[in-house]
Amino acid sequence: MIDFEKLGIVIKREYLTRIKSKAYILTTLLAPLILIMFILLIALIPMLSPETTRVVAVIDETQTIAPRMIEADPNQYRVFPNATVSDVRKMINDGVIQGYVVITEEIIDGSANPELIYGGSGGLNFIQKVQRDLRNSIREEKLDRSNVSADVRQIMRENVSLVTRVLTDTGEEEQDTSALMVIGLILGFVIYGAMFAYGGIVMRGVIEEKSNRIIEVIVSSVRPFELLLGKVFGVGALAVTQFLFWIAAGSAITAASTPILLFFMKQPADATTALGEADLPFTIPTVGTELIIFFLIFFVLGYLMYSAMFAAVGSALESETENQQLMLVVSLPIIIPIFFLGTVAADPDSSLSLILSIIPFFAPIIMPVRMAIMNVPMWEVALAIGLMIVAFLGLMWLSARIYRVGILMYGKSASFSELSKWIRYN
Amino acid sequence: MSIIKVDNVLKQFGSFTAVKDVSFEVQKGRIFGILGPNGAGKTTTIRMINYITIPDSGQVIINGKQAGPESQKQIGYLPEERGLYKKMKVGEQLLYLARLKGMSPNEARKSLKYWLDRFEASDWVKKELGELSKGQQQKIQFISTIAHNPDICIFDEPFSGLDPINSELLRDVIIELNRNGKTILFATHRMEQVEQMCDDICLFSNGSVILNGALTDIKRSFGKNTVKIEFQGDGAFLDELEHVRINNRSSNYAEIRLLDGADEQQILKRAVDEVKVQHFEFVQPSLNEIFISTVNLHNNKTANPTTVLS
Repeated sequence: MIDFEKLGIVIKREYLTRIKSKAYILTTLLAPLILIMFILLIALIPMLSPETTRVVAVIDETQTIAPRMIEADPNQYRVFPNATVSDVRKMINDGVIQGYVVITEEIIDGSANPELIYGGSGGLNFIQKVQRDLRNSIREEKLDRSNVSADVRQIMRENVSLVTRVLTDTGEEEQDTSALMVIGLILGFVIYGAMFAYGGIVMRGVIEEKSNRIIEVIVSSVRPFELLLGKVFGVGALAVTQFLFWIAAGSAITAASTPILLFFMKQPADATTALGEADLPFTIPTVGTELIIFFLIFFVLGYLMYSAMFAAVGSALESETENQQLMLVVSLPIIIPIFFLGTVAADPDSSLSLILSIIPFFAPIIMPVRMAIMNVPMWEVALAIGLMIVAFLGLMWLSARIYRVGILMYGKSASFSELSKWIRYN
Repeated sequence: MSIIKVDNVLKQFGSFTAVKDVSFEVQKGRIFGILGPNGAGKTTTIRMINYITIPDSGQVIINGKQAGPESQKQIGYLPEERGLYKKMKVGEQLLYLARLKGMSPNEARKSLKYWLDRFEASDWVKKELGELSKGQQQKIQFISTIAHNPDICIFDEPFSGLDPINSELLRDVIIELNRNGKTILFATHRMEQVEQMCDDICLFSNGSVILNGALTDIKRSFGKNTVKIEFQGDGAFLDELEHVRINNRSSNYAEIRLLDGADEQQILKRAVDEVKVQHFEFVQPSLNEIFISTVNLHNNKTANPTTVLS
């Protein structure tokens, strides 16, 4: 039925003419560079803007709190032994110091609240730090005065934090769930963008052949179905090439990110502590090979379904801007899952998430998100893949029937009902 | 043996019937013209011969076999609406199209070299098509049509949009191909080209074939019913003639088709009275005249008037 030699010739053309194009080479190379910039930005922004020390004068009538404050942050708190309140206010206006607090006995016994008078700059971080330091110092002073035992002090200092571990077949694994959510959302958005980008390439290819009228020459040599299939596969191969390159570049960049960060830090010690501790806004989790493989499978199947639809729409158009109504009809199934991304990422195990992730139109976007965050049972993944394959074959059949009529129709922009009429043509 | 046989073909698009009960045969080595007004079903028929679309009923036989992927390789097709890939290099593009017609890369390169040289187009191989002028693009389009050495060449309105030089070149190539034994199928509504080049014709109207046969036979069957007159003086008397239709009229020339009851002797008398007659001849009707009267006759019969091209 299908002439595989001709199909091969078509695939080769679709692939080679595009892979040699400047736009393709540029996006392929630039995307990882943008990723590097992104990582650098996130990692370096907190370090590029080191906290400027704001000096706060502590006017301590009790003489008990100020030493504790200075102990907490010697750079920030200072005592000016002979200065009056008006002297200190003048110093703030002159910009020598940034603020002052007055500590009285009432504050220690809790009948009055301390006040921070400051120059207005510094923002929430600054105020919260002063508050924290004041609170700790006053608490310590009160504990001292009450002669509290060391055990109780220890209890007061305790800070409970929750560590999560996931139990798997191989044992306990430490997982950073919020980082996994970020990965899941990124995967979802990447597939979303890729559907539009590559589906759009297929559609533009169809429109190009139709609008420059070569289509009639081509279909006098090749069956329209072979041409359609060749186009979908050729552009698909292009997409896979691009993604494999990006995955390779991505893993290389992730592996190299520590040395890169080290290189940009002034002191190597800073960088190791920065990376070692959770000072970064997120930790870079390792993305498993299995997830990458499934990501590619869902991406390819999603691409096949959507490009078949985009091709059918393209065959009904003579220019890209022509019929936005048709575009919307094929775009909607890609856009809808985006609204559910947050819900699915927050609760990947719910029945809503399960249902969304096996509906063929939504599966390419929803399932990888779930898989990134949790261990999705294999039968669900297999079901989703099976349904997508069935959906692809059905959509391909439908769009081939629209395509073979549409490519030879000129002059009028076809409506949706007309497309359904074309399906029934002999 | 006929090389193309269209046998009782029907093609509908929804409720619209594009072609119905169409049958004709094209003999090997002939130049065959498909004529008809726009929308008469010429392009639909040609697409079925090319196996671009498939008849709803009836069949198309090419070289003794049902039209299909194999017959596509024996046909070169120049569609009415021309077009190639604008951003693809000329050489790659021609090679691609020849390969799709089933040629091996080596055969294709050899044949393309011959035709590129023949059309003095070898220098453009490395250029993108969009960089070429309109006329140059037309040459590339001819090459793409005939490079795979097809037995049958189908040209849909081949001369439309061609500059005079390329028109002449294409005419020469068509005649050369025909001399080399190729069968040529033409679709056009330009009568003078058909009269100059075609051996056989087939006339379409409203999706049906209404006239079909060798050009000379058809002309002979219409008999000598047309008067060619050249004169000096006021041609107003022509408007007063009855039972005639006047074609190709100018200030000193007219072709007068005699309808029922018209007498050429009467016309000659009138003419001698009114103007100075320089030439008076009794001839076969032009193809244009045959075309118009046949289409009109057919339309009257089917009581389905349609615009007739001039």
